[in-house]
Amino acid sequence: MAADDRRNGDSTNHNHRDPKKPRLSEFLTDSDIRSEFAHHQTGVARINNGSFGCCPSSVLDAQRDWQLRFLRQPDEFYFNGLRRGLLASRAVIGDLINADDVDEVSLVDNATTAAAIVLQRVGRCFSEGRYRKEDSVVMFNCAFQSVKKSIQAYVSRVGGSTVEVRLPFPVNSNEEIVSAFREGLERGRENGRTVRLAIIDHITSMPCVLLPVRELVKVCREEGVEEVFVDAAHAIGSVKVDVKEIGADYYVSNLHKWFFCPPSIAFFYCKKRGGGSESDVHHPVVSHEFGNGLAIESAWIGTRDYSSQLVVPSVMEFVKRFEGGIDGIMKRNHDEAVRMGLMLCSAWGTNLGSPPEMCVGMVMIGLPSKLCVESDEDAIKLRSYLRVHRSVEVPVYFLGLRDGEEGVKDRDGGLITAYVRISRQVYNETEDYERLRDAITELVKDQMTCQNLPPV
Amino acid sequence: MASLSPPEEAASYHRRRSKRYPSSSTTTNGVSAAESVPDKRHKIFHESSSSLISPSEIEAEFSHHDPAFARINNGSFGCCPSSVISVQRDWQLRFLRQPDRFFFDDLKPSISQSRAAIRRLINAEHDDEVSLVDNATTAAAIVLQQTAWAFREGRFDRGDAVVMLHYAFGSVKKSVEAYVSRSGGEVIEVQLPFPVNSAEEIINRFRAGLELGKANGTRRVRLALIDHVTSMPSVVIPIKELVKICREEGVDQVFVDAAHGIGCVDVDMKEIGADFYASNLHKWFFAPPSVAFLYCKRSGGGGGSNLHHPVVSHEYGNGLAVESTWVGTRDYSAQLVVPSILEFVNRFEGGIDGIKKRNHESVVEMGQMLVKSWGTQLGCPPEMCASMVMVGLPVCLGVSSESDAVKLRNLLRERFCIEIPTYYRAPGEGETDDSITGYVRISFQVYNKPEEYHRLKDAVNELVRDGFKCTSLSD
Repeated sequence: MAADDRRNGDSTNHNHRDPKKPRLSEFLTDSDIRSEFAHHQTGVARINNGSFGCCPSSVLDAQRDWQLRFLRQPDEFYFNGLRRGLLASRAVIGDLINADDVDEVSLVDNATTAAAIVLQRVGRCFSEGRYRKEDSVVMFNCAFQSVKKSIQAYVSRVGGSTVEVRLPFPVNSNEEIVSAFREGLERGRENGRTVRLAIIDHITSMPCVLLPVRELVKVCREEGVEEVFVDAAHAIGSVKVDVKEIGADYYVSNLHKWFFCPPSIAFFYCKKRGGGSESDVHHPVVSHEFGNGLAIESAWIGTRDYSSQLVVPSVMEFVKRFEGGIDGIMKRNHDEAVRMGLMLCSAWGTNLGSPPEMCVGMVMIGLPSKLCVESDEDAIKLRSYLRVHRSVEVPVYFLGLRDGEEGVKDRDGGLITAYVRISRQVYNETEDYERLRDAITELVKDQMTCQNLPPV
Repeated sequence: MASLSPPEEAASYHRRRSKRYPSSSTTTNGVSAAESVPDKRHKIFHESSSSLISPSEIEAEFSHHDPAFARINNGSFGCCPSSVISVQRDWQLRFLRQPDRFFFDDLKPSISQSRAAIRRLINAEHDDEVSLVDNATTAAAIVLQQTAWAFREGRFDRGDAVVMLHYAFGSVKKSVEAYVSRSGGEVIEVQLPFPVNSAEEIINRFRAGLELGKANGTRRVRLALIDHVTSMPSVVIPIKELVKICREEGVDQVFVDAAHGIGCVDVDMKEIGADFYASNLHKWFFAPPSVAFLYCKRSGGGGGSNLHHPVVSHEYGNGLAVESTWVGTRDYSAQLVVPSILEFVNRFEGGIDGIKKRNHESVVEMGQMLVKSWGTQLGCPPEMCASMVMVGLPVCLGVSSESDAVKLRNLLRERFCIEIPTYYRAPGEGETDDSITGYVRISFQVYNKPEEYHRLKDAVNELVRDGFKCTSLSD
């Protein structure tokens, strides 16, 4: 789909290029970027890239080409095109994440699917007597709800126990997190238990914090944890991902959140270990490829639309059109998100949920105490209000304080009980955050609280 | 870069929205009157929506098919008309435009609409009985996982049996291995005759298979897994009778794998009486890839609350139908187009029933034409096929292995631009050298034309004339 790219050393097409066409070696302008995201609803301050991500038109076009190829002659595509295309995507990802072997890289729908795969395996180990009843799984209390349910479905059901580590929040340093986690591992080993699995978010979802995942994995190894699963749903395109450095046994990240893929695709990395234990990791939707390794099993789970898994090379083309490529995008997203976060803190008299170095392209900002967010329901109400009445899309987090916890106060001296999570992606503009700023400031000025918000 | 929205979509969208955003009548979970689902807007594009679809309109609907090919394999991957693809794109766009709002306000009610439409079509009792999943492969994993839990948790005894057909789909067999064998169940495969001459032959073999399963009353048959239409070789199984026999013989649960179900054969849940019934919609019901329904009877052995989607989300425990509405962020658009599929099929005389009837008549006619030209036979009598039929290949082609069949298929694709699956049938004991060992499976769908089958006829006759043998094909 791309024309010549002189940076690839292909100068032969240079003379045939239409002089009116911009050179591909030039970076995307602001207006190009707006075009790429022209399908986003106008008039909405879309500051929640973290939940559902985004996909530029160029990549959607590439996806349509793949879809059409299947529709045109599906047998031919199945026999001659599909696996090669999937392998190409896997190879690109393998390089990006520094995996040793492309066999270690499988493509699945999303992190939710990867969690089911890991936990089914752990469940089988319990059922088949390889793990003792009451052996534990350790995770953070803010682990994504589907992961918690998956543990219930596959681990608790067969007698495994769970230990939840409360994530300190708001948080000030990596040390706070490492220390809480160590304490959690100790609890997981009480009464002679073995910690069979530690589930660590690379970037927690709600509240959103960048965790010191390398240190946490190291602690797991020191403390004899059997396997480590890093749930990095938000990672790729947010933060540098080097799976060898991180050292986990399993690592999953969605590409449709921060890596410009259409819904949906995630890569699931399973480290090759001596003893071949990774051969007992299976996709739950069993096809004729069962037993050929997860990567091959995942490449065919029955007839479906695999197009979102085929566009990864096109995404690489897209990010190369930004200065610094994906690294440049990540840095600018981070810097802008922090800048906007500080702007909001200052306007509202509140705080950031974590220091800038513990944020990615997402930042948690305390909401003014005067809004009186007193429950999860209040947080949902406020979010709906912002969507419907202010055209602002931003998730709201209610921080339930435990008895005896001090909490953080805002400029008005009230307790901060809620945070918004702002996201910054290449399509966002300062006005988006200003709209949020003004919406909240006006609510406070008008003495509105969650208890008297107008209905949606 | 052009915007994604075709001008009509944008204009229509703005007509419905007088304000920039939001619509004041929208509720958090409902779809307001102003927010008509995309397929209603589609009426703008069809001037002749009240009259029947014409042959040239049908051609236009499938103009994205590769024109060079004789595409006589609808059975493998199905087809999807442009109208439905267009509606699917509208749904995809809706998510991309504002995904949070789509998730909170639109997705669930829209899936509910699809499920309700299917429930009516298949004569199920209640919408709760209808779950939407990707495909029959996924449905099999769901049912078999439930069976595995029962073995693991001691509700079934180790060694209790699961009975299935030998011709079950490859993926289903692997799923049975992964879930049933691994958790302690014993698998009995029922060999069916092929070619087959009557439903009685199948019924008798199945009875014998159940006997083997019951092993003189020393164990229970916990699950019978029966295809409604086998894939390869393709035959319509007398499913009502087999389900009845299962009930008579005390089989705990019956799961009908009807990958080729809706749009191909009659699909009436109450008449068929199975506990579980799974059918793809993208094969014979014009859905885009991919969507299937899994029906779970609420009363009796169905025990719907025991079934779970293997990809566990926050909906876990809310019943399979609700669990299946959210298995993490993904593209659910294929599940949302069912109402627009109904609009499409109702442009044909007799709707989906008319389409089924004409497909059947045409495939039999084409099959008999080929048999006459090649001097071979059909794999089953006409009443035992629906919209696919197995047609014997001339013996002189020398199809003597599965690998020969695959190579012959590739040759037909590459040299003749004919897409058709081939099947190798090992000769039975005592059969002579002139028994038919190679078959093709022809499909007939609304876009097919007789010329395509004549091309196949001529290609095979050319191979015969040239003295072609499969052994000459390299690996």
